[in-house]
Amino acid sequence: MTEVIEALSLVPKAEAKQSMKDFKSDQEVRWCPGCGDYAVLAAVQGFMPELGLAKENIVFVSGIGCSSRFPYYMNTYGMHSIHGRAPAIATGLASSRRDLSVWVVTGDGDALSIGGNHLIHALRRNVNLKILLFNNRIYGLTKGQYSPTSEVGKITKSTPMGSLDAPFNPVSLAIGAEASFVARTVDSDRKHLTSVLRAAAEHQGTALIEIYQNCNIFNDGAFEVLKDKQQAEEAVIRLEHGQLIRFGADGSKGVVRDQATGDLKVIAVTDENASQILIHDAHTTSPTTAFALSRLADPDTLHHTPIGVFRSVDRPVYDTQMSDQLETAIEQKGKGDLATLLAGNDTWTTGR
Amino acid sequence: MAYVIAEPCIDLKDKACVEECPVDCIYEGRRALYIHPDECVDCGACEPVCPVEAVFYEDDVPPHWQPYRQANVEFFDVLGSPGGACAVGSVSADPPLVAAHAGRADDPNR
Repeated sequence: MTEVIEALSLVPKAEAKQSMKDFKSDQEVRWCPGCGDYAVLAAVQGFMPELGLAKENIVFVSGIGCSSRFPYYMNTYGMHSIHGRAPAIATGLASSRRDLSVWVVTGDGDALSIGGNHLIHALRRNVNLKILLFNNRIYGLTKGQYSPTSEVGKITKSTPMGSLDAPFNPVSLAIGAEASFVARTVDSDRKHLTSVLRAAAEHQGTALIEIYQNCNIFNDGAFEVLKDKQQAEEAVIRLEHGQLIRFGADGSKGVVRDQATGDLKVIAVTDENASQILIHDAHTTSPTTAFALSRLADPDTLHHTPIGVFRSVDRPVYDTQMSDQLETAIEQKGKGDLATLLAGNDTWTTGR
Repeated sequence: MAYVIAEPCIDLKDKACVEECPVDCIYEGRRALYIHPDECVDCGACEPVCPVEAVFYEDDVPPHWQPYRQANVEFFDVLGSPGGACAVGSVSADPPLVAAHAGRADDPNR
């Protein structure tokens, strides 16, 4: 890639041309045979050379879970951190070291259960980091309990009579948390996954990518309807900025706005209604339509599941603003001394 | 890195591996199956399901079947990287090593 990506302009470039091999570590990859994580790892390792960044300036931070083994397998810096806290650690790193390309790898349990709070605050702050949320709709590492994205009625070891919890929709959640970039892709579609990684890397601010990932041991075939060639035609809505939102055989179905409610709905396209079909605008300031798109999918059957970039808008970036504030403070008040501040006047002694 | 299909697959093509592959990277030739070296993500799902133990991790191919590493690469010289075997279907070609193979000793049609 020859053009400079604005979001990565402070990150040093690699001295020589890189290949996928450069990003493979010497660690033996240990996930269950057939796990979707392998496909995501291969896609990320295959995409990284395109950015042409110095490997020493790339960091992968993960939490806890199967997907969180990711940093071991990337020949970059990385941290297998605390359960749910990867976004917090990455926030500190990305805002204090703007010469780094910071990526977070997390799962549906790590990001949405124990780490739910950290995730939403990272998204609203818009720190320059890229979050890969592997969603397999199950707890894999702990051997198959229902997760925050499992469907209602899911029978697992911890829910023998079916889960009573309504699932999170990670894309809806992210848009609600003021995320400036939200996308969804599928582990086995390498081309699409790579295109979404590219769009996220080019984005300034926090990017959230939900990756539907198959756990072939504890939740096999969870996304089969989106992968099976015949079923996918009716189930998957491919979002492309500036393009009509049409899908199905020969684009026989389309997404239109319901005039009465303002909501979105799927219709069979005819000559009469073809002009009403929405054109996808990922860059529009209002999150309303992106949110409505995220609600199209049926959480049980996954029919009408949009994939691609839902939303990609420019918003002030936290680390840039923080850096500006620090510079202004130093300009106005001098460099300052932490020890003096700590032992300053505004202290008191407690006790008897 | 990738997994490799060796001699035992020739004239058998059980295809249990094709069912297991999560990224659809096992292609069918005339006499054997081949794993795409760039599309394979090293997940290893194919290896244990092969009824004749024809699938090996690249570094673990037995010495006498080493040429099959190259054969799996050569099969894609013409095909390139189609990004999925399903859309390609069966290809009526094999790399020279497989095409010239005398057949399995236990094959009644040999």
